[in-house]
Amino acid sequence: MRFPKTVVLPVIWLLLTNAAHAARIGDLTETSITEQALRFFTFSDPSLRLALLGCILLGLNCGLLGGFVVVRRMSLVGDTLSHAVLPGVALGFLWNHTKDPLAILIGATLVGCLSMLTVSAITRTTRLKEDAAMGLVLSSFYAIGICLIGMIQRLPSGNKSGIDKFLFGQAAAMNGHDITLMAVTSGLTLLFVTFGYRGLLTLSFHRAFGESLGLPMGFLHHAMMLLISFAVVTAMQAVGVVLVSAMLIIPPATACLLTDRLHRVLILSAIIGIATAVFGAFFSFLGSNLPTGPFMVLAGSLVFTMTFLFSPKQGWLTRLWRQQTQKCRIERENTLKAMYHLAERYGFREEGITLLELANTRREPLEQIRQRSDDLIRQKLATLTEDGSMLHFTPEGWRKASAIVRNHRLWELYLTNIMQYGADHVHDDAEKIEHVLGEDTVRQLERRLDFPQTDPHGKAIPGARDIHAAIAKPNLGKPTGY
Amino acid sequence: MPDLLPPFDAHRVFVAPWTTDLPTYGWMTLMAFLVTTACGLVGNYLILRRMALVGDAISHSVLPGLAVAFLISGKLTLPAMLAGALGAGLITTFLIEFLHTRSRIKADAAIGITFCSLFALGVVLINVFASKVHLDAECVLYGELSHLALAEHSLGMPVPVLVMGGVALIVVVLIVLFYKELLITSFDALLAGSQGFAPGKMHLALMASLSIVIVAAFESVGAILVIAMLILPGATAQLLSTRLPICLVLSVLHAAVSAIGGLHLSLILGCPMAAAVVVAGTLLFGVAWAISWMRQRARTIVSDIHAVVS
Amino acid sequence: MNPPALELHDLTVSYAKKPVLYGVDVQVPQGALVGIIGPNGAGKSTMIRAIMGLTPLSGGWVRIFGESFEKNRQRVGYVPQREQVDWDFPVNVMDVVLMGRYGRRGWLRRVTKEDKKIAEESLDKVGMLPFRNRQIANLSGGQQQRVFLARALAQQSDLYLMDEPFAGVDATTERAIMTLLQDLQSQGKTILVVHHDLTTAKEYFDHLLLLNMRLIAFGKTQDAFTVEQLQKTYGGRLTILSDVAAKAAKGEAMP
Repeated sequence: MRFPKTVVLPVIWLLLTNAAHAARIGDLTETSITEQALRFFTFSDPSLRLALLGCILLGLNCGLLGGFVVVRRMSLVGDTLSHAVLPGVALGFLWNHTKDPLAILIGATLVGCLSMLTVSAITRTTRLKEDAAMGLVLSSFYAIGICLIGMIQRLPSGNKSGIDKFLFGQAAAMNGHDITLMAVTSGLTLLFVTFGYRGLLTLSFHRAFGESLGLPMGFLHHAMMLLISFAVVTAMQAVGVVLVSAMLIIPPATACLLTDRLHRVLILSAIIGIATAVFGAFFSFLGSNLPTGPFMVLAGSLVFTMTFLFSPKQGWLTRLWRQQTQKCRIERENTLKAMYHLAERYGFREEGITLLELANTRREPLEQIRQRSDDLIRQKLATLTEDGSMLHFTPEGWRKASAIVRNHRLWELYLTNIMQYGADHVHDDAEKIEHVLGEDTVRQLERRLDFPQTDPHGKAIPGARDIHAAIAKPNLGKPTGY
Repeated sequence: MPDLLPPFDAHRVFVAPWTTDLPTYGWMTLMAFLVTTACGLVGNYLILRRMALVGDAISHSVLPGLAVAFLISGKLTLPAMLAGALGAGLITTFLIEFLHTRSRIKADAAIGITFCSLFALGVVLINVFASKVHLDAECVLYGELSHLALAEHSLGMPVPVLVMGGVALIVVVLIVLFYKELLITSFDALLAGSQGFAPGKMHLALMASLSIVIVAAFESVGAILVIAMLILPGATAQLLSTRLPICLVLSVLHAAVSAIGGLHLSLILGCPMAAAVVVAGTLLFGVAWAISWMRQRARTIVSDIHAVVS
Repeated sequence: MNPPALELHDLTVSYAKKPVLYGVDVQVPQGALVGIIGPNGAGKSTMIRAIMGLTPLSGGWVRIFGESFEKNRQRVGYVPQREQVDWDFPVNVMDVVLMGRYGRRGWLRRVTKEDKKIAEESLDKVGMLPFRNRQIANLSGGQQQRVFLARALAQQSDLYLMDEPFAGVDATTERAIMTLLQDLQSQGKTILVVHHDLTTAKEYFDHLLLLNMRLIAFGKTQDAFTVEQLQKTYGGRLTILSDVAAKAAKGEAMP
């Protein structure tokens, strides 16, 4: 499958081949990359300064509005809007055959509103669901836009219009007018979000409730949609039609992973938005004619991925790691419990527990028991005699062991006495629950069960006194209280 | 604006494509028809399963699949493309699922994040390594049916048409064979599950066929117009009929009419044919919408009359 | 002796990391008409789904007529909640009822004339035969429910699991459904019905299963339907149990 570059629409193709032949990162030598990087950081280039300012405004604007978009589960509305405004861009261009930002903004906003109206008209009057309606509007409007652009490209004025830059975005193509417009729309967004925050919060959380309070929910919703289309249209030059919705989704989604209060989401998402926009501009600046949009989005996805994996509360790897730690703790507690059972069997008279006995009770090879005892020793829960055959509880270890046994027996008692489960059902369950019962729940259970002394199998439940008794007498593997 | 449209010439627009220029336009129209048929048939099920936007996502993420396939195999052969697209489609499905089940990200945002990121990755890969790829990022956006004229021929037809024909045939055969299974898993996944029809596997299979259809259609119509090909035929058909088999037939009809309409439209307007096919399809959807609306009106009027009479 | 139609042992289900069902033990004898009663969120629908393996179990097992569900799939008929499907779907009444026959045919086989006959008979039993070619969107709620029942009848099963068949139906349909259930029972079928109306529960069912995250009671209606048991069922959340179980499922320690 090949694409020789002589085609029916020579002008488009000329533009495309120009882009294709332009320098790529790979073609650049090391020095020019560093030179470019230097130019970037010294802000020596006035057009660069403009582009950078544009990116910051874009990140701010999209980040703020995107917060609401994501929270309100309208992520794909941004996607629809960004594709559907394309004919508006073309019409705006046709207005006076130049890339007049204001004309394009007006054209695109009008078409954007039209596309949203069409979506709601389709879902209201037909059996089609919202997703189908959005996909339909998105792609049909886009096709109309492509047709118009194809026609424009044949015009003498369209030839050099740079209207193709709208597809993938080129931050460097922005001029002073574009930046002014961006500053105005970002300012509007900032004002809107600051002064309308409470209303917007209500709108996002529960629209019907806001309406019942007499808040202007409809007005806020439409104003927000208008601002979103402004944001999409002004950002389009830098990010491109296809990817502009990413700037509305990725920074706020990242922020949502980090915090759960809306105002923090908004602030964080604006910061992340600015950072990704600037990074994207930087990377695309390294090559001489690289599109900005994809680099911005990739920078955003990178930040998102890192957050998704490592965020302190929600991170996937963080959680995996926590579960792993948890598993180790449970194993440790099970070993302690086995030691307690052995001690109990001997009426708490023995000096310590031999590793061999422990291996027999836990039905594990001696080698593994040795590892487990090493772990206990590392955690200062037990000590090993010098010949390495006997384990003794440390006071802390004793406290833990009796707490676990108490939890187990309390839970069994709770299930049999209060929940009326059969005595043969409760053991496995208690095996799991014993590790997660907190002190509060234990108190609650004890009260509920009227401070019981023995479990359903007739064994003693260690009480709070017994557990803390050992601490008063250090040096003890033999809790003489029993 | 007279210069926006090429001068209208009835012979050039309506006669020449079917006579003197038939070798060029014939294949282009056939290709447009095959693409729209294959996409439209699969798209019917996407619409019914409320997965239209997953189709959107996969159509975007096929691009990095192709780029990676190219980087690994060195050239874009058919098997490499299919493998790349299949991998990309399944990874997209998996990522969307993973993101929204393993974190508090909602499904819509998960779709958006996944396909935007993958698409951006594709564009960057192509831009950075593209000097050797015959796959320009811009082609992704417009699609070019006209490349067909330059494609190699095999078995008397251009290779892309042959491939697309094969894919369309496979789609038809699969739908005929698995009609019952597709119907029950789409309509009532729980009942399907209880009867042993593995809705999860059917979902994956549907995603896999979707990726293959999209990659076959990719060069001709691009990543975004293909969404229209997926949704328009089914949406139009479902406005007109309430029986699934009839809907499927109607979508094929829609494909044929929009392919021919698109050909003439593109000649009249002088714009890319792939986009023109979609515009023609959109017009058909508009007509169907009007018809269904009028039918509804008529029904309410009739029932009103009934009410008055009785 | 006949194996029980349905046997659950220590059935435990966690849903999105929250336990919804906890250690349920039940043996439903063959030929019983069982009402499953409990407050919202008590795990009634979850239990039905878990029986059919549609929700993964986190513990316990299920036996249908003494065998695993996979082996006895065809002996189980299912009536899902009405809201569960898209009633705008482009199929007509007959198509929906025929779906009940798909399981018997298995993969890749078409439905036969015989299947169509069975489907028509089932439609006739619920009084919906005149509507056989109607698009499903143009049915009333009660009619939609009867179509679902006809589909279950077409499955020709021995054990029926029905999720809220009485929800939002008119009085006529309610009576028609009841007649149908009694008819099925007289043929020796076993039926489990998720039900939310306490006032009718006593007269409709001969067995009751009271559920609130765990099994409160199961038995003949006169034994199970007591004030004490109902108070236990509807007496609010079982705080300690649900709290602790949620933590356990998440694998997190409590503070």
